[in-house]
Amino acid sequence: MLYYAKTEALRMLRNRRYLIFVVAFPVVLYLINAGIYGKQTDDSGVPYSVALMVSMAAYGALAASMMSSAVPWAQERQTGWLRQLQITPLPGWAIIVTKLCAAMLLVLPSLLLVSVVGVVVEGVSLPVGTWVPLLLALWLGTLPFVALGLAIGSTLSADAAQPAAMISMFALALAGGLWFPPEAFGDTMRTIAELTPSYRYADLGWSVIAGQGLPASDLLVVGAWGLALGAAAVFLYRRATVRS
Amino acid sequence: MNAIVFDQVSKRYGDVLAVDDLSLSIESGTTVALLGPNGAGKSTSIGMLLGLLKPTGGEISVHGHAPEQAVAAGELGAMLQDGALIPELTVKELVDLVRRLYPRPLPLDQVLELADLGELAGRRANKLSGGQAQRVRFALAVAGAPRVLLLDEPTAAMDVESRLRFWRGMHDYAAGGRTVLFATHYLEEADQHSDRVIVIARGRLAADGTAAQIKARAGGRTVRFTLGEQPAAGLDLLPGVTAVEVEAGAVTLRTADTDATLAGLYRGTTLDVRDLQVAGAGLEDAFLALTRES
Repeated sequence: MLYYAKTEALRMLRNRRYLIFVVAFPVVLYLINAGIYGKQTDDSGVPYSVALMVSMAAYGALAASMMSSAVPWAQERQTGWLRQLQITPLPGWAIIVTKLCAAMLLVLPSLLLVSVVGVVVEGVSLPVGTWVPLLLALWLGTLPFVALGLAIGSTLSADAAQPAAMISMFALALAGGLWFPPEAFGDTMRTIAELTPSYRYADLGWSVIAGQGLPASDLLVVGAWGLALGAAAVFLYRRATVRS
Repeated sequence: MNAIVFDQVSKRYGDVLAVDDLSLSIESGTTVALLGPNGAGKSTSIGMLLGLLKPTGGEISVHGHAPEQAVAAGELGAMLQDGALIPELTVKELVDLVRRLYPRPLPLDQVLELADLGELAGRRANKLSGGQAQRVRFALAVAGAPRVLLLDEPTAAMDVESRLRFWRGMHDYAAGGRTVLFATHYLEEADQHSDRVIVIARGRLAADGTAAQIKARAGGRTVRFTLGEQPAAGLDLLPGVTAVEVEAGAVTLRTADTDATLAGLYRGTTLDVRDLQVAGAGLEDAFLALTRES
């Protein structure tokens, strides 16, 4: 099973679409934005170069968690690779758990790369006590998005899963304030944003760098979304693999 | 000991009965061809053997266990009709991935050798030809050293070269005392590569025996002639005749004794027979006759 997870990760790292959209894109976006606004500071005195680093790392992680789960999974279901695995001794639950672990693993490259660029290029400097909770929160917080990706992959055909995953990802990124600071939103948008898992997820990161720790409300909302989408993913996976 | 047992198995999809009260048993260590035209129920039977489909009625066992348990124990390996590979992985990585999911797999080198994939080991799956991909799928089926190997129309999409290599690999694998069941709609393949042929048509058992027995049972020769508007009734009563087909005034008789049939036709009837032809039944004819009877 470990080897299965390793090959799953390996195949995505060889996938050009994954590398460009998921790994390279957030880094480039960060460099452009930080180049323009990096020197300014926000209300709580955090330089934009740091806040943007968190936003772009969150965006990269969101993109990675959805793109490395939904489409490959839908393809495997459709093309018969899933059936090839179903007739091996590997139990059904192990397939989906491995997919989940591999997708979580694939979140790390974009998350870490944006951070490294932040430190090396933009001169971001944070104490270790901030880095550790920041990266852990941004990593483990992707669980709801991986679950959403797998739910999409269990439900739609490969052709439909691609746009569905893209649209969900962009909607979550926009509504969650990953591209434009949430302070720029109107009241209505702000209320919507606070209900999304993506805003709450990124807010975990923003709160850490503002020195506020991990807000319980954010953890609660992200956790609730994780549970709800996780349950949906399990249900849809079972429906997709049922023996008729 | 029986490797595979079907006990009054049926499978219904809505109104269609894909497998109809099928009972058979396959002895451990034999290579058996499951022969039948498209839609005969071959793939459905294999799907049920693998636990991918649930029978509507009856029971299936593999070495005395339910299919799901046999799969979990790594007793079964299979090459299904549609099975894509992961495009970004190499042949070697794919084979190794599946190999490691089984409790007692074959060594990697041996799998690659069996499927004749030595030179292709480092190639990515999306750079393989159709026939090469089929050989990789054969490798995946045998990688876990399953005691029972199921192959669903394994040579589809293979060129002559790949076909030869594939059958060689299959025989090498079967030689270790393992059981192989392969589905095909070519009697020739069944004839050349199996110890026993099970013919199914419309979900039912049509014939069961060695390839030679099947050919003999299907009737040796055919007599063809034109009858025009004359009635064809009574032709089935002629000596030696095992089957009669009439199509637009043209009659085909299948007979076990050509001389007796012709004597009966000329002396025993007043029919005006034209364009008479006598031919030995080919393999395909034999097969068609069998599947039409049931």
